[in-house]
Amino acid sequence: MDKTADTTLSPGRSAAGIRVQRSLAIGAGLLAVLAVAGAVLVPGFVSMQNARSILLLASFLGIASLGQTLCALLGALDLSIPFVIGSANILLPSLLVSGLPPAVAIALILLLGALVGAVNGLMSFRIQGQALIMSLAVGFAVVGATQIYTTLGSIYAGTVFATIPDWLRNLAAFNGTTLGIPMPPVILIWAILAAVVILAMHRTWFGRGIYALGGSRVAAARLQISERKLWVAVHAISGVASVSAGMLLLGFSGGGFVGVGDPYLFTTVAAVVIGGTSLLGGAGGYGATVLGVLVLTVLTSILVGLGLSFASQQAVVGLLIIPMVAIYARAPHIRNQI
Amino acid sequence: MTAAKAFQKLGSLAVPLTLVVVLLAIAAVRSPNLFTPSGIGNGILVAAPLFFATMALTPIVMSGRGAVDLSIGPLIGFLNVTLITWLSARGITHPVLFIGWALFAGALWQVLLALIVIYVRIAPIIVSLSGYLVLSGVNLMIMSRPGGVAPDWLMNWGAASAAQVISPIFLLALVAFVAWVAITRTGFHRQLRMVGSDERMAYTAGINVDLVRLIAFAIGGMFAGLAALSYTALIASGDPTQGSTYTLQAVTALVLGGASLSGGRGGAIGAALGAVNMFLINYLLGTFNFGSLSGYVTQMAFGAILACSLLVNLFTSPSASKA
Repeated sequence: MDKTADTTLSPGRSAAGIRVQRSLAIGAGLLAVLAVAGAVLVPGFVSMQNARSILLLASFLGIASLGQTLCALLGALDLSIPFVIGSANILLPSLLVSGLPPAVAIALILLLGALVGAVNGLMSFRIQGQALIMSLAVGFAVVGATQIYTTLGSIYAGTVFATIPDWLRNLAAFNGTTLGIPMPPVILIWAILAAVVILAMHRTWFGRGIYALGGSRVAAARLQISERKLWVAVHAISGVASVSAGMLLLGFSGGGFVGVGDPYLFTTVAAVVIGGTSLLGGAGGYGATVLGVLVLTVLTSILVGLGLSFASQQAVVGLLIIPMVAIYARAPHIRNQI
Repeated sequence: MTAAKAFQKLGSLAVPLTLVVVLLAIAAVRSPNLFTPSGIGNGILVAAPLFFATMALTPIVMSGRGAVDLSIGPLIGFLNVTLITWLSARGITHPVLFIGWALFAGALWQVLLALIVIYVRIAPIIVSLSGYLVLSGVNLMIMSRPGGVAPDWLMNWGAASAAQVISPIFLLALVAFVAWVAITRTGFHRQLRMVGSDERMAYTAGINVDLVRLIAFAIGGMFAGLAALSYTALIASGDPTQGSTYTLQAVTALVLGGASLSGGRGGAIGAALGAVNMFLINYLLGTFNFGSLSGYVTQMAFGAILACSLLVNLFTSPSASKA
């Protein structure tokens, strides 16, 4: 019994394996090409300073893209991410001002993030075709509610000021240090997080379940994998990752601003897509997204170094997406799908 | 019993229709001003760009494969800034040329996206995401900050709409409506619905799937041109960034109007109801005095209403749960 299962499984598994390897190799190759191009084109590109700033910006995007990757593996997209990031970014200083100890405030926000994500998942589970819009609706509601809360009793709207604890500042500020090394700890945190997630996706029931579900809903149901549980869990993780990014961005900037999440609306999707995770579910992974995040950040850094305006950066990134995706995510022709 | 049956017969339009009636009833109490000729005219002027943008999304979403055109907002912005800087600023203000460029350029952009979807064979949402980024950047390169003036006749359109119900913008919306009704009478519309509901079946049934998709996108592009025209009439100038906000608004209006993002379903009545609902929610919340909180309350109410209407759709139409 075991043996038959093994032989029927292995061809599919190796084919998928090759596909993942291929997209990872392409991503790594592109990253290398970009790094060389940067070194040639931009003076001062190869420096500790620049590497540090690239890695720092990549960490924020990387953490924010964690939830997007897991959602994409199930065939969903979480558009509430930018709104949740912005909400956490203003809620934390507001709670600190009201006198809550930092640890309690952060724990509370993490809990709220998980709750918002879980609610999002619960509501969109039955209408997966429209999950995109449901997450958008949840995002609107959350950011509206948070702003109402932070504005009550304050004259500033949208921006909140508070004394940020030094350790949070050190965690994510450009001049932060890790055990004396001049590198913000958030980079190390992201690296560890990435390692844990990649391992968990391959070694745990939870991780394998996500791939099974993204691959085939029916097969996953036969394996007693609860679609609802995974769907909700993945959205809850996305909520936690988003509030974490939002709070870390507070340490980076030093002041709460609700619009801080805005760029992450499409960049998280772009990072997932450039990495090679299919938006239809089943193929890809967080390792691919890490590459996508690095490619996107290095590219942006080169464009900034070349003196391109924000507008032209956006246009170039947009133009790059189609050939990138075309390399490894082309759908078969319809006559081969029947 | 008959009321319940009639309600069910409305199908996906039941929820948006109920919402419009409820919102209008509240508006009648809160702000009777809305029901004067100038109130209605102004409402049509403000809601028109959103209606056209939603109409632009309708055939594209109907074509299936999860094709939600995220680039619709920046496309409206692109048409707006090119109308102002490329045409109006150079003295080219003839209505035929103006309207022609908006329709032609809108259709051209969508045909380009459709060709990428068909021949590069990547997911439409990725193509439109890429389009969103490209056009957002290009718009700012064409026009770095809001400015310019619309031609006199287009400004008059805006001014006339603010005074009476039957205005050029209203007639434009009527023309678009009639055009859509005409489309639904054609074989193309049946083929479009089939492609959107089950592409493989449509292909095996001998339908030219690629051609249907191409035409659907081109029609969407022309509606985007109308959206840009009415938007330009509304603001009477050029603005490189504000147009982009129509992406999220149009997708929201589409869903509030009862269309399904998974394809095969949608129409002009739903799009109009969705746009009117969006306008009424904004308008009504504006009549309450929330002081500095008003923007946030609007945002929250918007999210809550959208979420509720999605959930209600789930319970009223049994087919929605499968979609």
